[in-house]
Formats: sequence, structure tokens, C-alpha cells
Amino acid sequence: MKKETPKNKDDSDVILLEHEYDGIQEYDQRLPNWWLITLWGAVIFSLLYWFFYFQSRVGMTDIELLEQRLERIEAANLEATLAMLDDGNLWQMSRNTQFIQAGRNHYTAHCSACHGPNLEGGIGFALVDNEWVHGSAPTDIFRVIDEGIPGTGMQAWGGSLGPKRIAEVVAYVLSHHEQP
Amino acid sequence: MKATTGSLTETIVYNDKVVRQFLIASILFGIVGMAAGALIAFQLNYWQMNGKFLEVLTFGLIKSEGIQYLTFGRLRPLHTNAAIFAFVGNMMFAGIYYSTQRLCKCRLASDKLSAIHFWGWQGIIVAAAITLPAGFTRGKEYAELIWPINIAVVVIWVVFAINFFWTLAKRNEKSLYVALWFYIATIITVAMLYIVNHLSIPTSLLHSYPIFGGVQDALVQWWYGHNAVAFFLTTPILGIMYYFIPKAARRPVYSYRLSVIHFWSLVFIYIWAGPHHLLNTALPGWLQALGMIFSLMLWAPSWGGMLNGLLTLRGAWHRLRTDPVLKFFAAGVTFYGMATFEGPLLSIKSVNGLAHYSDWIIGHVHSGTLGWNGFLAAGMFYWLAPRLWRKPTMPASAHDEQSSCAGLYSQSLANLHFWLGMVGILLYIGAMWVSGITQGLMLNAVDDNVLAYPDFIETLNAIRAPMLFRAIGGTFYLIGFLILAYNIYMTIRGSRAVDGEVEVASREMETSVSLAGSFFNAPVTYSSLAVIFSCIWLFGGDFSLLVGFFGLVITCLLAVVHFQVSGAKWQDWYAGLLKNSAGFTALTFISVAIGGAVQIVPTVMVERANNIEGRIQIPYTPLELIGRDVYIREGCYTCHSQMIRTMVPDVLRYGPRQDQGYSRLGESIYDFPFQWGSKRTGPDLAREGGAIVEGHTYMRSGLRNNEWHYLHMMDPRSTSPGSNMPSYPWLAEQSYSVETIARRIRVQRDWLGVPYREDWTIDEIRESVETHAMEIARDLRARGIYAEPESEMVALIAYLQKLGAYEKISRRDRNLRAARE
Repeated sequence: MKKETPKNKDDSDVILLEHEYDGIQEYDQRLPNWWLITLWGAVIFSLLYWFFYFQSRVGMTDIELLEQRLERIEAANLEATLAMLDDGNLWQMSRNTQFIQAGRNHYTAHCSACHGPNLEGGIGFALVDNEWVHGSAPTDIFRVIDEGIPGTGMQAWGGSLGPKRIAEVVAYVLSHHEQP
Repeated sequence: MKATTGSLTETIVYNDKVVRQFLIASILFGIVGMAAGALIAFQLNYWQMNGKFLEVLTFGLIKSEGIQYLTFGRLRPLHTNAAIFAFVGNMMFAGIYYSTQRLCKCRLASDKLSAIHFWGWQGIIVAAAITLPAGFTRGKEYAELIWPINIAVVVIWVVFAINFFWTLAKRNEKSLYVALWFYIATIITVAMLYIVNHLSIPTSLLHSYPIFGGVQDALVQWWYGHNAVAFFLTTPILGIMYYFIPKAARRPVYSYRLSVIHFWSLVFIYIWAGPHHLLNTALPGWLQALGMIFSLMLWAPSWGGMLNGLLTLRGAWHRLRTDPVLKFFAAGVTFYGMATFEGPLLSIKSVNGLAHYSDWIIGHVHSGTLGWNGFLAAGMFYWLAPRLWRKPTMPASAHDEQSSCAGLYSQSLANLHFWLGMVGILLYIGAMWVSGITQGLMLNAVDDNVLAYPDFIETLNAIRAPMLFRAIGGTFYLIGFLILAYNIYMTIRGSRAVDGEVEVASREMETSVSLAGSFFNAPVTYSSLAVIFSCIWLFGGDFSLLVGFFGLVITCLLAVVHFQVSGAKWQDWYAGLLKNSAGFTALTFISVAIGGAVQIVPTVMVERANNIEGRIQIPYTPLELIGRDVYIREGCYTCHSQMIRTMVPDVLRYGPRQDQGYSRLGESIYDFPFQWGSKRTGPDLAREGGAIVEGHTYMRSGLRNNEWHYLHMMDPRSTSPGSNMPSYPWLAEQSYSVETIARRIRVQRDWLGVPYREDWTIDEIRESVETHAMEIARDLRARGIYAEPESEMVALIAYLQKLGAYEKISRRDRNLRAARE
């Protein structure tokens, strides 16, 4: 029988356990380092993963992430409908946080001086009560902002804000109201 | 069977008859299972293979667009059950019985039990082979068999367990070799999994509903499904590897230490990973995360097994050139390593988002079954055959310098089998990677905020070529296996069956660790503390987070220090434990039970109302329930999912309306069994249905109208050109029974908690069925289609039109409802 020389230099000091089972013997080699690293690396990663998603409250849940992505897609699609605005899609925009967020920013910058920081009114009418002097349909509100009301303090914003931003403002205002 | 030869030694003759029986059964059923696999692979490409091909074969004698007993939906369960329980099951029993006797130096405890085990198991297989094509199924993957067969399986498994543990008790070898550890883990874990996942309430001799529904059923099912792979297809085969590789290679096992570490980490971790089959679904996030991270942690323990298998071959590598047995073993273990690397990879949520429901998973499974199970089986059969049957001319030892299977009829044929099988597997899994990734990418592609490939059929037709290569690869593998059968047959022919024997010194057994000592000692204490503190950390609030974290750190530090000081004692303890099979078994059971308990118990115990996410399914009408049973009978779930995942492309494709979105848990709460599915050969059906049509009491109409469904069932290609779905013409001819459904409704109401009226009489149920069926039949008539209202077709349409019907339910309603219950 050919002598089987050990190829690994470690073999020289490897323990061969005495016990024998039906002729089968066992070495007692050290566990390979890369294997140990794989094992403990996975354990540590798992603990960190759990901490990040379930305990630190930094990681977003799948559902939050999904909602956010879907909203972005919806926002992009709604933008495409700006050319043919109607009450329906303005109401839809008013339920999309992307539009509401943007609208709030424009509102604070341009509108809150007259209509109040919380839409409670001031120089201009209140926008949270259900009284609409110039028409209550979303497209009416859009038109009022776009074209203004001559003879009142309401100026035409169409030129400076453009349709997208106006729609966002309308969405923000409508977000304080329920769709009839 | 013991003959005393002297005062000190006796000769023990092993029971190798049962090994031979299991070996032959495994080969026969292996052929059946693989042939069924090849057939259904071709069915996916050529819909005519679902029965119409018989028209050509019989020159028109049999006229049919499809034969119900041959459709993919019914044969796929037959294929999986045959491959798992008949092929690998019988192979496993052969290997376990052969090696256990030798590792215990003791004949199997009872010849009677061995015979009952063998014939009982074959009876179960035959019963399965009859009932599955006939359409009797529980509708849960790898758990399709109906309840009377389930009971038979449990009884036979208990017979197996008694026979095995009794043999252990009678052993003439003090200590348990690592192969036996894996067998012990297999026997107790499969028993636990099988029983829990098969708990059902019978409605008749052939039908039952599982006691879990919706998300609970999903969780229990995949706890079982995943661990059936773990403890039926992996641990017993690892045990077989630990016996047969060192035997064939004539080399010592690479590392005892590695055996200890990888065994315990494998059995503890494996159980937790089940939820990775439900990633990105509505399953609660914490369960998904556990499924993913435990799958990642499983990588190293699995590779521990591969290392011990492959590195045992060190010093024998040169014999791979000449020894077909070693060739099969080395390749099989390599495929095991590949599959267990791929598994954790697929469990990463983002990878899973691409791969789940696609052919990639099918390829992954087959690198395990064809590569790991199939090649280990082949190696074992070639090694065993010349030892179990001996030609008159053969020397006593089947070993020679070149080969460990001298005495086999033909080693060249074994080599041919190896290469055919190898090419077959590579073709198979390569094709499945291509097809899975291609279709996954196409289905998930979102360009400019819209789906890039909105038409499902387009993605199916993109993978026709790889699907064909898969079928060809599978056929190669089958041919290789037929060569094995021939080779073994020729080896047996003209040979004499021989039973092994051994001389043993008179029995002197001592147990160095008592049963109590198995539990109360340093290693077990530290492990238990670590698990407890981890659970406190992971599941507790802010305060327990800190307690758990510091408790865990301190436990680990203490354990390390203690080990440094008295590690030798720990080794002694473990060596002692190996002499106490009861203690060892108990510890194994506890290790495997923890994972399931932590995941399943809360989900089952927590009141249902907390599991609905603001939506609650509208219970099925009697006709819809009849249709649902047809859907399950035809195995529609093998190709269609009912789960819109929490992913943008899934929502855009299947739940685009603003108020719908992904599938909420409450939407399938009354589904016994759940039908979330695991593969999308066809599109998802979660929202196929719609609202009740005006002017009707029951009839609904969803994405497509009744006419479309009727035509689609009769000939899918008439409505969806290019579809590979079978035709279901018999549905229009077969009729349903109202008595049956009344009984089933009673079970759902009384046992499963579905809110059907308490005082619903059978006449009222009949009236509801008739009204509903007439509404659909009239609607079809108006479109020029005559359908029998009593036909299963009408019921199935009713079911499809109901899919996805739910009502919104606020927190307040939910509390009220819960209070009322």
C-alpha cells in the first residue's frame, strides 16, 4: 500500500483520537480561522442588523420604505397630469405627502403673511373654515391662486410659482379638508 | 441472532435484509420521482404534455385537451413527495440502518419493527402515488398527503424511532459516533415538525382543513417546509456522509471538534430560518428579520459539514480518479457546500426580492436534491451493493487499492452515470439561474415610474429556452440514474445476499453522565444563559435591552474564561454525554424546539385581531368555498401566488389602485390552508376578484369578466396567447356536492372560527349556492356561453372573482369585535 504522506504541515502535530467506530477514526483538527470568522462575523452582523432595524429606530421598516417609494412614483405621475388638472387629481395630490410637504414650504414662504401660518386667516380669508368666497372646487382655488382676484389683495401667482408649485399649495390647503 | 462463541466474545449478525429492501425501493421510487420531474419540466414548456400528447401516442384513441390526472398541478406534488419521501427517504433508511448497526456493533433491535417500517413506508408511498394524481390533497407544499396517510406516516415514523433508539439502548459501543448524532436529530425533529404542520380537522375520510389559517398557517408551513429540507434532506445525509466517506476513503474524519461545533450550531440555528420563505410578504417584520439573520448564521455551520466531508478525503484525492464512489461523494459534498452558500445568499431580503417566486429557487433546491442527496445516494448505493450481495467469485472485502466498490458489475457504467448526472445538474441549475434572474429582473423592472414589462406572458416567453435546457438537464440526470439501476441490477443478479457480522466482547455498558448531569453542567448552562439573554435583548423593551445585552456579554466572557481554565473538563463531560443517548436526545430536542417556540407560539397565541392590519377578509360564500377547494385540488398554488409583496413592482403590477397596495395579513385570515404560494409560473392572483355586480346578490366581477375566465379555463391560449397553463375542460363536466360543502362549512365555523351563521341550515346553504351559480350561469349565457350551474367551473369562477375581497376595519371596530368574541 502506498504510503500516504500528509500534505499539510499542520498534520504533524494533529491529534488522532484513539477511539475507533467500526474502523472509523477521527482527527481533532483546530477549526480553520476563516471558518470561525464566517461564523462569528455572521453572528455579529445579525445582532447589528437587528439593533439597527428594530431597536435603534433608525432603519425604516419595509412598509415605510414601500409607502415612501410608492408616493414618489405617484407624485411623479401626478406631475404629468398637471397639464389637465381637475378636481379629482387635486384631491389626490392633497393626500400625497410629497405634494403636501412641498406645498407647505411654498405656503410658508408666500402665503402665510396674509392667510396666517396655520391657515387661520388674517389679511386674507381663513382657509380652514368651509367658507369659500371665490368657489370651493379645487380647480377654483387653483384659479384664484393662479390668476388672483383683481381689486383684492390676492395677487396672481401663476407667473412666479408656475402650475406645479400652485398645485402643491392647493394640495397643502386641501389637506386640511375632507373630500366631499 | 446472537451466537456465543466463547465466554468473552460473541458473533453478531447484522440485519442487512432491511437495508437491501430499502436500497432497492429507493432506486425504484427514485426512477418514478425523477421521471415525474422530467415530465413536469417538459409540461412547463409544452402545455400539450398535460395529457394532449396521449392523443398523438394513441393515434387519436384518447381525445383530450388535457387529462386531469396528468396536469402539472397534480404531478408536481407527486414529484416532490416522491423525490423527498420515497427516494431520499428510502435511501436514508437504508444508510441509517446499515451504519447504525455497525456503529453500535449490534443487530437492529427488532426484525419485526424493521419489516413493519419497510412495508409500512412503501404502503404510504403507494397511497401517495394514488391519491395525489387523483386530486386528494391538503394543499400545503411537501405536506399534501391527506390526513389518513398523515397518521400512517406518524405511526411508521414512531416505529422507526423505537427501532432506532432501542438499537441504541442495546449497543455494544459505549460512545455515540457523530453520524448517530445526526440521526437522532433527524428522528426527533421530523416528528415534531410533521405533527405540528399536519394538525387538521377532518371533514371526511379524504379531506381536512388545517387548524391554522392565513399568516399562522404560512408561518407553520414554512417552519415545516424549510426544516423538512433541513432534517429530512440534510441531517440524515450528513450522518450518512460521516459514516460512508471515511469508510470509502479509508481516512480518519478531518476534525472531531468541528463535528461537535457544527452539529450543535446547525441543529440550533436551522429551525429559526423558516421565515426566509416569506420575505417581503405581509409577515411581521421581526419574523422576516429572524428568518434572514438566522439563514446568514447558518452558512458557517453548514460549511462545517462540507469541510469535514471534503477534508476527510485529504490523502485520498488521487483515488478520485479511479473510484466512482469517492467521485460521487466528493461532488455531492461540493454541491452541498454550493447550495448552503446559495441559501443564505437567497435569504438576504433584497436578493430574495429578485429571486423569490422565480426559477432560481427551483434551481437552488435541485442543486441540493440532485447534487447533494442524489450523488450521496449514488455513491452509497455503489459502495453498498457489492457488500450486500456477493458474487461467488468475490473476495470477502470489496475494497481494493483503486476502488472501494470492487465487485460492482461495471465501474465504467458508474463513471458514465457520474458524468451524465454531473452534466445534467449543471445544465439544470445553470438554466435555472439564467431563467430565474432574467424573469426576476423583467418582473421587477420599473422604468419611468411604470412597469417595463407589464405583460406577464412576455416575461414567461423570455425564459422558454432556459426552461427547455432545464428539462434536458433533468432528463440527462434521469438517464444516469437508470444506468445506476441497471448496474445495481446486474450486480445483484447471480449474487448471494450476505449479512455483515462482527465479533464483540461481552457487553459492558456504563454511563458516565447521568440524565441530570446532561442538563446541569457548565456548557449547557452557559448556552442556556446566552439564549435567554439574547431573547431578552432582542424582544424586550428599552430596559431589558440593556439587561439582555450586558447579560449576554458577561455570560460569553465567563464562558470563555471558564473554558480556558477547565476546558478539559468540558471535553470529558461531552465524552460522557456521548455515552448517554437519552441525555443527548433530550438536549437535541431542546435545541431544535427553541426556534420554533419563539417564532410560532406568539403568532398563534396572539389574538387574531392583532394580525389583520386594518383589513379583514370577507368570508367565502358556499359556492366560492367550493371553488376554492377545486383550486386547491388542481394544485393551482403550485404556479400562482396570492401575495402582493411589500415591493414597488409587486404593488404596481398586482395592487395598483391607491387604496389597495400590498397584501395585508387580514386579507387571508380565513384561508385554510393559506394560499400565498411559493412560485409564480403564472401571475399573482391576490386581487383577481372584485365587487358584487349591481343587481346581483352574490356575483362578483373583478379584473376580468366571467366569460374570460370560462374561456381561459377551457383553453388558456384563447385568452392569453403564449400561455403554458394546462387546459381544464373537465371542470365544465364535473359537478360539486352541496352536502359536502355544508359539512365543510360546519367545520370551518365550529372548529376554525370562520364567522358563518350558527343557524345556517343546509337548505339555506343550498339556496345560496343555487342563486349564486345561476347568477354566473346567466351572465355567461348572456355572452353566449352555456355553462352548467352545478359544474365545478362555475364554482371556480365564483372563487376567482372573490379573490382579494376585504372590508376595512378600524381599530375601534376591531376592539369591539374582539370584545364580542
